[in-house]
Amino acid sequence: MIVAGCDIGALTAKAVVLNNDVMLGSEIIQSRSNAVQSAVEVTDKLLKRLDLAYSDIDYCVGTGYGRNIVPFANDNVSEISCHGRGATWLVSTIRTIIDGGGQDCKAIRVDDNGFVKDFRMNTKCAAGTGRALELMAESLGVDVSQLGHLSLEASDPVVLQEPCCVLTEIEIRYLVFEGRDSADIAAGINDITARRILHLVRNLGVRKDVGITGGIAKNIGVVSCLERALKTTFVQFPVDPQIIGAVGAALFAADKAGKLHSLA
Amino acid sequence: MIYAGCDLGIVSAKAAIIQNSDIRAFEILPYKSHPKQAAVDVMDKALAKVGLSREQIDSCLSTGFGKNAVSYANGAVPSLVCLHRAIRELNPSIRTVIDVGGHSFAAFNIDDNGRIAATAVTDKCAAGTGKFVDVMANALEKPVEELSQASLSSNNPIPITNQCVIFAESEVISHINNGCDRLDIFAGIASAVAAKIVGLVKRIDVNEEVAMIGGVAKNSIVVRDLERKLGLRFANLGVDCQVIGALGAALIAKDERESASQ
Repeated sequence: MIVAGCDIGALTAKAVVLNNDVMLGSEIIQSRSNAVQSAVEVTDKLLKRLDLAYSDIDYCVGTGYGRNIVPFANDNVSEISCHGRGATWLVSTIRTIIDGGGQDCKAIRVDDNGFVKDFRMNTKCAAGTGRALELMAESLGVDVSQLGHLSLEASDPVVLQEPCCVLTEIEIRYLVFEGRDSADIAAGINDITARRILHLVRNLGVRKDVGITGGIAKNIGVVSCLERALKTTFVQFPVDPQIIGAVGAALFAADKAGKLHSLA
Repeated sequence: MIYAGCDLGIVSAKAAIIQNSDIRAFEILPYKSHPKQAAVDVMDKALAKVGLSREQIDSCLSTGFGKNAVSYANGAVPSLVCLHRAIRELNPSIRTVIDVGGHSFAAFNIDDNGRIAATAVTDKCAAGTGKFVDVMANALEKPVEELSQASLSSNNPIPITNQCVIFAESEVISHINNGCDRLDIFAGIASAVAAKIVGLVKRIDVNEEVAMIGGVAKNSIVVRDLERKLGLRFANLGVDCQVIGALGAALIAKDERESASQ
């Protein structure tokens, strides 16, 4: 049975295809301004690579910000449930999942079966999200993908004060202007991002094992700040941490397809 | 005697040149990087307008975010002090000043004796600033100036519910994708910005006359919405609302020289 999960986020769109318990492949693209277009492009790209057609997919579940409008999805599930499900399927010992997405940041508690028990997420402010990181990287004049490694070279990290990532631009520009080392500023950017995320995680309460999913998981600077503050080492996922929501969606698709199958 | 002021902001440099108390020239120069160079260029441009050279300036003071980076200045003065000085010069009956710039957002009262009575400064959030407006205009793919004029005729402003710049940007993009009219979207943005500014201004007394300054004061629709929400009309200061800080710095340069020579 071939199933798909399609996670349409604010910044990136992800697709995963599973054949029973085996992952056939995944794809990530930058989101287009239109969620339908993002869903179609990412899935087209993946199916083409796997040499599959839409008709080969028995069931598809959409998730993420654009989950309601994935045109070929049979159903949709919230990204919180999908991250919980995907992460527990990949690493069964996980109990706390930090999902650092493009425009949201969540701390999710799952039970032994991977079901979501509780969560916290940002609602009013985008500080601590991928988009905030991107904006701050832009103010520093580096690509967001470089922030993590750059910060490892820091010798005297700066401490940023502004909670708003848009206002932080002033602080960053001022530091650049004063001639501060960009590695030190990058470390400050990662630190303030981690502090925002920690706020949610501590509010939820930490239970081990802990893992981080979403694009922010790729920033080694933010990840090590979080590990240090939470006094734990995060689990290693065997797949790209950015596709875990899509993996979860595909697993829900398998459940739903199985139910349909047994009814028939 | 010739005096000058340079207001080096986050996104633009402003210069003002005065002779006695008359404004001879002013200049606004938006910049992306190299604030030190922008400070030099903006003053040279202003000087060139009136055929003066830097050597002819008797004294120059700087203000704004980059006040310590203005190489030719004889000293630096805080923004609030400069704004207050210029407002007193331009219109002594002003009792409330609302300053909305690119990243800043402040309001203050002036009492009957001409002293600063109360101040309110920006929240820990960029909602309501020029940056908020710029990001939304960018999402709408049209210049702010064009949108702020054209959207005055909108009869159907679309409410923007998110305060956060980043969330509001997504909200705007969703509205565009849903086929909403761009001018109706911008009218909604202006209304949200005006509401945020009113929230801050209400923390102090709103005593007439009221002046609005800073880059956002050039945004016709935000100004209109703000005037409606506050139930008043802003006073006309007779000069470009973005050079008030630079003008104040020049006036203080003059005051200092005059008091030193007495």
